[in-house]
Amino acid sequence: MSFLVWRLYRAQAVIGLALLAAFSALLLATGFSMASQWHSALATCTTDGGCGNLSNTLFLGSHAVGFLVIMTLGVPVVIGVLCGAPLVAHEFETGTRDFSWTQSITRRRWLLVKAGWLLLAAAALAGVVSGLVTWWSGPDNALQADAFGPGRFDIMGIVPVAYTLFAMALGIAAGLLLRRTVPAIGLTLAMYLAVRLLIDQWIRPHYMSAVMHLYGLTQNWVPSGAVWQLGSGVVNPSGHVLPMQNGADIGPNVSVSTVPSVCASGASQAQNNQGGVLTCMQKLGYRQFVSYQPASRYWAFQGIEFGIFVALAVGLLAVTYVVITRRDA
Amino acid sequence: MSVLVWRLYRGQAAIAVLVLAAFAAVLVVTGLSMASQWHTLLLGCTANSSCADLAATVSLGGSVAGHDIVLLSLAAPAAFGMLVGAPLLAHEFEVRTTDFAWSQSVTRMRWLLVKVGWTVLAAAVWGGVIASLVTWWSGPRNALLQNAFQPTTFDQQGLVPIGYAVFATMLGIAAGALLRRTLPAIAVTLGGFIGLRLLIANAVRPHYLGTVTAYFSPKLSTFTPPGSAWVISQGLVGKNGQVIQVGAGTQMINGVPIGSLSASCQRLVSARLTLNGVARGHVAGPSHAVLSCLQSSGVRGFATYQPASRYWPFQGIETGIYVALALVLLAVTYVVVTRRDA
Repeated sequence: MSFLVWRLYRAQAVIGLALLAAFSALLLATGFSMASQWHSALATCTTDGGCGNLSNTLFLGSHAVGFLVIMTLGVPVVIGVLCGAPLVAHEFETGTRDFSWTQSITRRRWLLVKAGWLLLAAAALAGVVSGLVTWWSGPDNALQADAFGPGRFDIMGIVPVAYTLFAMALGIAAGLLLRRTVPAIGLTLAMYLAVRLLIDQWIRPHYMSAVMHLYGLTQNWVPSGAVWQLGSGVVNPSGHVLPMQNGADIGPNVSVSTVPSVCASGASQAQNNQGGVLTCMQKLGYRQFVSYQPASRYWAFQGIEFGIFVALAVGLLAVTYVVITRRDA
Repeated sequence: MSVLVWRLYRGQAAIAVLVLAAFAAVLVVTGLSMASQWHTLLLGCTANSSCADLAATVSLGGSVAGHDIVLLSLAAPAAFGMLVGAPLLAHEFEVRTTDFAWSQSVTRMRWLLVKVGWTVLAAAVWGGVIASLVTWWSGPRNALLQNAFQPTTFDQQGLVPIGYAVFATMLGIAAGALLRRTLPAIAVTLGGFIGLRLLIANAVRPHYLGTVTAYFSPKLSTFTPPGSAWVISQGLVGKNGQVIQVGAGTQMINGVPIGSLSASCQRLVSARLTLNGVARGHVAGPSHAVLSCLQSSGVRGFATYQPASRYWPFQGIETGIYVALALVLLAVTYVVVTRRDA
C-alpha cells in the first residue's frame, strides 16, 4: 500500500522537491550575505556606539526575497488545496474508489496509509520551509524586533507545520463531504482563510492575559525586546481607557476633548499650557499605558497556536475516518 | 448555448454573489466609519492648522479585520482563475463531456467562444466590483498616507484588478486546454499568475514611463516628491553622478559622508569633529572652511520617482498588458481546441 502511494504521487513529489530546492538555494545564498552584512554592521556600531538607532538606518536583504519570504504564508493552504482536497474527492469523482475499496486491503488501511504518508510529507515540506525562513530571518528579527508581530509570527517557528496539517485535514474532509475536487478546493481555501483570520484577530491576543504597564503622562516608555504590542493610550483614575480623538492633541495620547474640566478652563487654553495640563492630570491619577505580550512568551504562544491547529486537524481527520469506514461503498 | 452556460454555472454564480455580498458588507460598514473618522480629523486639524503632520500622528485602519480582508482582495483574481478558469476545459476533457458537446449541432468554435466569453465577462465583473469597493474604502487612507501609487496599494485599486482577473481566468482556461487535467491546470494557474505578477510589478512596472529624478541639498535628509508619487530609489550622488553607498557605520557631516570629501577637507572635518567632541553625526553650524568643503564635494541627495500625475496612465498601461496577455492565451486556447481531434 505504501508502495502504491509512492507510485501515485512520485510526480508530485519530484515537483515539490524541485520547488523546495530552488527556494532553499535562494534563501541560503541571500541569507549568508545578509548575516555577514549584519555582523559587520554590529561590529561597526559597537565601536562608535550607534547600535541604538540601527533599525532606522540599516536595511537588510532585498525587497524581492523579503517578499518571497512573506509569501510563504500561503504555503500551507497551497499544500492543502493541491494535495489534501483531491485526496478523497478525486477518487470519488473518477470512480477509482469503487476499485480501491474492492481489493483485499481494508478501507481503513487504504485511508490511513494514504493520508498518513501525505500528511507526513506535507508536514516535512512545511517544516523545511519554515526552518529556512526562520534561519534567514534571524538578523532581521534581531534588527526589527518584530518576530512576535502578526504576519511574522505566522511564517516562523513551528506554527507553519500545524497550519499545513490543518489545511491538509481540511482538504481531505472537504473532499469527502463534497465528493468533487474543484468545490472541495474552493471550500478548503475559504475555510482555511476564515479560521486563520478568526484565530489571528480575536483569539491569539488572549492566549495569555496581556501585561499592562502604566507610566506617567510626561514620560516615555517602550517595552524591551521583540514584544507584541496590543494597545496603548491613557487611562483615567478609575481605570477606564480614554477615547482616542485625533486632531487636537496636547501630548502623547491625550486629546483636548478628554481633558477633565478641573485641569482646563477651556480647550483652547489647554493647548497653550500643555505641560501644566499634563502635570495636573498626572496628579489626578491619569496614566499612560502600554498593553503587550512580552517577548519571553514567544515560544509559549507558538506552542499554543501549534496545539490548536493540530487539534483541529485531528478532529477533522477523526470525522473523515468515521465517515469513510462506516459508509457504504 | 448561452442558456446552457448559465445552467452549468448558476451554482458557482450564486456562490460568487454571496462571497461578494459578504465582502461588500464588511467594507461598507468599516468604510463608512473610517470616512466619518477622516472627516472629523480634517475638521479638527483645519481648526488648529495641524493638518500637515496628520500622517505622522494618526492611524486610519478602519478595523484590523477590514484591512486584512482588503489585502486578501489581491488574491481574488487568482481564486477566480483557479476555481472557474482552470476547470472550464480541463474538467470537460477529464470526464469526457467534450465527446458529447462536440457531437451536437453547435460548432466547436461557437461552443468555446460562448463559454469563454461569458466566463471572462464574469471575471471582469468580479474584479471590477471588488476593485471599486476597495478603491472607495481606501479613499481616506490614500489621502492620509499618499500611498495609492505604492506597490500592493496600486495592485488592488482602480482598473488593474479587472486586468488581473481577466488574465488569471484566461490562464486557467489555456492551462486546462493544454494539460487536460484539472488539478495540474489549477497549480499552473496559481504558479503562473503569482510569477508573472511578481515579475511585472518588480521588474517592468517601474519602467512604463521614464522616471523623474530630483536633486537636493544633502542637508535635507528627507525630500518627498509632491502628492502620491512613487519613489523608486533615493540616496546620495557624488560630483560625477555616481551613487554613494551609505552603510550603518558611515561617518557623516551635515548629510555628506566624510569619505567622499577631498583629503585636505577630510583632515579639516575630522579635526573639527574631535574638537567638538562629537564622534559622528551632524555638527551645528560648520565654519566657512567646512561649508566650502561640503560645497566643493558636490555631493547631492537624489530621489528617483514616478510623479503622482502618472497614476492613471500606469493603471491603463498595466491593465492593457494583462488584457493583451489574456488575448494571446485566448488565441492559444482557440487553436488548441479547434485543431485537435475530438
